[in-house]
Amino acid sequence: MRSLDVAVVVYPGSNCDRDMFYALELSGFRPRFVGLKGELRGYPVIAVPGGFSYGDYLRPGAVAAREEISHRIREEAERGALVLGVCNGFQILVEMGLLPGALLQNEDGLFSCRWVDLLVEDASTPFTRCYRPGQRISLPIANGFGRYYRGGGDVRVVMRYVHDVNGSEEGIAAVANEAGNVLGMMPHPERACEEILGGTDGIALFRSMMEHLSSLL
Amino acid sequence: MQRFAFLVNVQLKGHVRDPRGETIRRVLKEEKGLPVERLRIGKAILLEVEALSEEEARGVVERACSEMLVNPVVEDYEVLAL
Repeated sequence: MRSLDVAVVVYPGSNCDRDMFYALELSGFRPRFVGLKGELRGYPVIAVPGGFSYGDYLRPGAVAAREEISHRIREEAERGALVLGVCNGFQILVEMGLLPGALLQNEDGLFSCRWVDLLVEDASTPFTRCYRPGQRISLPIANGFGRYYRGGGDVRVVMRYVHDVNGSEEGIAAVANEAGNVLGMMPHPERACEEILGGTDGIALFRSMMEHLSSLL
Repeated sequence: MQRFAFLVNVQLKGHVRDPRGETIRRVLKEEKGLPVERLRIGKAILLEVEALSEEEARGVVERACSEMLVNPVVEDYEVLAL
């Protein structure tokens, strides 16, 4: 396995997998799609893209989180692989228990699809080291169940919304596990990597992962 | 082996806001004029389980709840025998 290979996990109902693949390739990675029966061993980075895995049946991410491939994601996370979950990918990681809390229906009941301003609160993770602490960035969101609820536990907050967008507790938009190698975020960095799409603030997230991997060589 | 039927009633915890329930309550109250003061939308899940006894069957349902059907961070549930 070469060090820039990234597994993009595709569940039935994932629909941001190709966007993620494209952004990873644009950032110099070698992405590969990995399906339910695929192998994840040895990938230094695993991306869990957005979408509506299993049609959001039961709860968003609930079914996908219990698939065999998700157990393999957990194994690789425990080995130290970087695991990035975006939107439905974040919901899946939370349902797996890899990240704390829960994601609930937006407080206004609406599917929210727009660009939002965020503050990078923790610029020390492998996903955010190319941002400045406190940097204000703009990324698109597209979700109906993006209201983060921490459930009383300690949470490593990585990004917060500048303005309340969905009723998330303390404006939390992105969280990491304690070790920092698992990141879940509702905004879509992969949709913010080219000017033609409206913004480029997502690039630094992918560059951060690249720098992190380089620093390990 | 016998077949036992259960209804699992899953509800968001009381302090977790429920936009669906709030919207439906508002319409019932404001548009239909019904004095509905609280309305929460949960899930009702019907299960039929093969087991030797109701106790064993209930154990299966409890496992289904804890392993998948209920998210204990935000939901409470009750198991009703049918």
